[in-house]
Amino acid sequence: MAGKRTASVALATAKQAILEYAKRKGALAAGVADLDAIERIAPPGHRPSDIMPHVRSVISLGVGGQTQGAWTVPAKAMAYFGSTESRAYTAAYGLAFFIEDRFRARSVYCPPDLDNEAGPRVPLQSLKLHAELAGIGARSLAGDILLHPDFGYMYFASVFTELELPPDEPMAENPCPTPSCVSLYRKTGQTPCMRFCPVQCLSGVIDDDGQQAQMHYDMAKCAEMSQQYEGMPGLIADAINALEPGAQEDALFDPDNKMVWYKMSVGSGGLLAQCFECMRVCPIAINAPLADPIRRAEARERGES
Amino acid sequence: MTRGLSRDQIGVSEEMVATYGELVFKLSHNHQIRRGDPVRLKQFDLIATHRGESGMSDGQIAECLGLTLNQVTLIRNLEERRRFNRAPYHRLNQLGGGRRFRTERFTDPASQHRYDEDATLIRCAIRFDPDLVKRYVEAGWWCNETLRSWLAQRAEATPGAPALLGPDGAVQSYGALSEQVRRLAAGLYAKGLRPGDVLSIQLPNTADFLRVYLAATHLGAVVSTLYLPHRKSDMRRLLGAARARMLVCATQLGDFAPAATAVAMMAELDHLSCVIAVEQPVAGAITLAELDADEPDPPQAPVGSDPFLLLFTSGTTAQPKAVPLTYQNMLSNARLSAPEHQLTASDRILSAAPFGHLYALYSFHLALATGAANVLLPIFTPPALAEAVQTHRPTALFAGPAHMQACLANGLIDAERWRSLRLIVLSGATLPPALAHQLAAALPSCARITQLWGMTETQAGLYTRPGDPIDIAATSAGRPSPGTEVRIADSDDREVGHGTEGELQIRGALLFPGYLANDEANAAAFTADHWFRSGDLAVRSEDGNVTITGRIKEIINRGGVKYNPREIEDLLDAHPAIAQCAIVPMADAALGERACCFAVATPGAMPTLEELTNYLLEHGVAKFKLPERLELRDALPMTPTRKIIKGQLRVD
Repeated sequence: MAGKRTASVALATAKQAILEYAKRKGALAAGVADLDAIERIAPPGHRPSDIMPHVRSVISLGVGGQTQGAWTVPAKAMAYFGSTESRAYTAAYGLAFFIEDRFRARSVYCPPDLDNEAGPRVPLQSLKLHAELAGIGARSLAGDILLHPDFGYMYFASVFTELELPPDEPMAENPCPTPSCVSLYRKTGQTPCMRFCPVQCLSGVIDDDGQQAQMHYDMAKCAEMSQQYEGMPGLIADAINALEPGAQEDALFDPDNKMVWYKMSVGSGGLLAQCFECMRVCPIAINAPLADPIRRAEARERGES
Repeated sequence: MTRGLSRDQIGVSEEMVATYGELVFKLSHNHQIRRGDPVRLKQFDLIATHRGESGMSDGQIAECLGLTLNQVTLIRNLEERRRFNRAPYHRLNQLGGGRRFRTERFTDPASQHRYDEDATLIRCAIRFDPDLVKRYVEAGWWCNETLRSWLAQRAEATPGAPALLGPDGAVQSYGALSEQVRRLAAGLYAKGLRPGDVLSIQLPNTADFLRVYLAATHLGAVVSTLYLPHRKSDMRRLLGAARARMLVCATQLGDFAPAATAVAMMAELDHLSCVIAVEQPVAGAITLAELDADEPDPPQAPVGSDPFLLLFTSGTTAQPKAVPLTYQNMLSNARLSAPEHQLTASDRILSAAPFGHLYALYSFHLALATGAANVLLPIFTPPALAEAVQTHRPTALFAGPAHMQACLANGLIDAERWRSLRLIVLSGATLPPALAHQLAAALPSCARITQLWGMTETQAGLYTRPGDPIDIAATSAGRPSPGTEVRIADSDDREVGHGTEGELQIRGALLFPGYLANDEANAAAFTADHWFRSGDLAVRSEDGNVTITGRIKEIINRGGVKYNPREIEDLLDAHPAIAQCAIVPMADAALGERACCFAVATPGAMPTLEELTNYLLEHGVAKFKLPERLELRDALPMTPTRKIIKGQLRVD
């Protein structure tokens, strides 16, 4: 019993250290999600255990989104601020190293990537689900984007670890919709997010108590503006099908379409990164005495470094 | 290909995609509904109940529909690709930076205006020599100016200044005109007029003509004109050639009913979708008054390079050809010429020539360029002109020699009553020197009697300047307008020296790009170095003034001896028995051509060929230039600008 209590205290301490580390690295909020709940809600193939079979905890952290000035610039410039999310990824990436280093529990930064088996709009894991269950955001009427009462809109990242940490609870209250949004909804049938959506992909219902009764998100419509995955094959198809040379030329070379080419080439070097398979099978890279934080920590303990 | 498998390996047919596509699409993440806040509240039962609404994974959809995972993934991806519309992406470029989305501000690019085949054809005519264009732009001749922008500038700078002075005494300011034009443009837009569409006008020189002209061009439409004398056959031919979308015309012109005639033609002119009658309603047409609409301007405003006029050559020697003209051509010419004519905002400009002709539109362009007022004379008659001059005291008069000749003949030119005139510009036909002197003598207070030469293809190419001696204005068309070059060339397009007759060739900022869809005419009209062959014969004096001496096509080739009959016509015009004459070639088996004189005798006279040839010989005319046949007529065919149509004078 005492052992269990000691372990519990130790895990609580570990959790505190982990969350403090995340905040030192730039997270505005961090928490631990209820793994059982995630496993129940996420569909097969998209559960933490599908990535990490012995996962015991999911840690979610959120970093600030835009600067205030960013909200004032044209939307086409705003698009580039999406790289803010990389700060969350960096913090989470460091956190996984920190946990391995400090607590010697295998950890992995949850890849914020898409499921290559399913296509470009299906993520491997729902970072949103992790964050919501970790209590650092609640679903809004704006297509389920998570909002926090103190930090507003954040970018999230997750860490899976075999360290079993006590989970947090979801937020007790959902800050969405605000009273002013309810007021506009009562007058016009739309909240601001619905009204000013450029493709009108949002709708919903607010009940008599001012709470969300229904959120409706037409993601396909949203994607037509914000996610041009079909852009390049579409424009190539247009060029192939064009009856006139001028139309063919326009399909391939008009300024918008050239932007697609740009984004797929020099503008998105990340898409052309290495697969690292050569390193995974390299004995030196894998088995070198200080190749990873655990090995480095063990070496430190043995007084070898 | 999905997960490395081809369609036939996965077992998906197009029929299956048609069967399951929509269902898969809706069950997937593409369409999400959340009821309540079940995740935050960990309401697992509720989540499970509404799983199909909140977006299922491919595996869950497969389980639900009895398909394989690969089949669902393939079908979903195909559906996503086929439904995907790239167009909304463009909205991104119009958001943020203080701009918020408003439904009414955004339209699908695919639904936005598209130049139809007819409009595209006109735009294909915009083909200028790139080196010349560079020069025009660098010199500041060509810029981004339109009638719309000019009117807006006038309305903003001097909203209360008079723009139109009507025959009934009505005065319309630039501010009021601008507002009326905006509302009329909205009405035309509501009726379907779009950028590049052709709107034809057949109206007298009224405020309605100018309002329609400005409203159509406000929208980026192209205006084509019909002359008032045009009747059914001309109307059909010109509306058809212009592929006019709309016609604005009078309900009644004398005994002719233009609107009803045009309505009857709509069945055969498939492009003509709307006839707009000024004044009384006509069955099948709408009235101009119905077009008043208070709507915001459509998004697409015209720009300087746009064609805005599609006129037809007067056709003195051949069938009319369609002449597209751009704002840069016409407005640069007017802007640069206004100071040359010494016109200012304080002027009141009256055109005796009909607005259907470019010469009259030039006078209006000058008024807009300077902010001057336009005195409106709906239809020229000598008394009407005299009354307009007396009533509105114009300071500048644009007229044809025939107009002034008629006023003089009717004793209507009175120095006192016409003393407001400081400038008279004469153009449209050859100016008899005697007429210029007569006018100068009759109007001693008018210091600026000038002659102007232009064509439908050029607007104002040459003119004498205020301050030139009357002898210069009486005998020459003056010097090139700013931005214009002329040369006198021989038959090999080589420039000839001063005093030598040759073809007047012209190029410059004012020059039209080429006849519409008429390669043959364009090949004949332009030299290899992009000079336009005017077809006029001319001589340039050492002081640079150019005198028009005739038309190349009027030259008579008598057994290899070529001569210009203009001097013979001038002499015969002065004969007391001749009111009007034109000498044209007639075919001859021996000599190729001989001269035939078509003439209208003065009342009571009956001139004979012998009498006329003796008269000419007495005046020193060489025998080979004598007309060898006389055809007396009651009238000669004339263009609306009072030029004899020699092409219609045929000898049997």
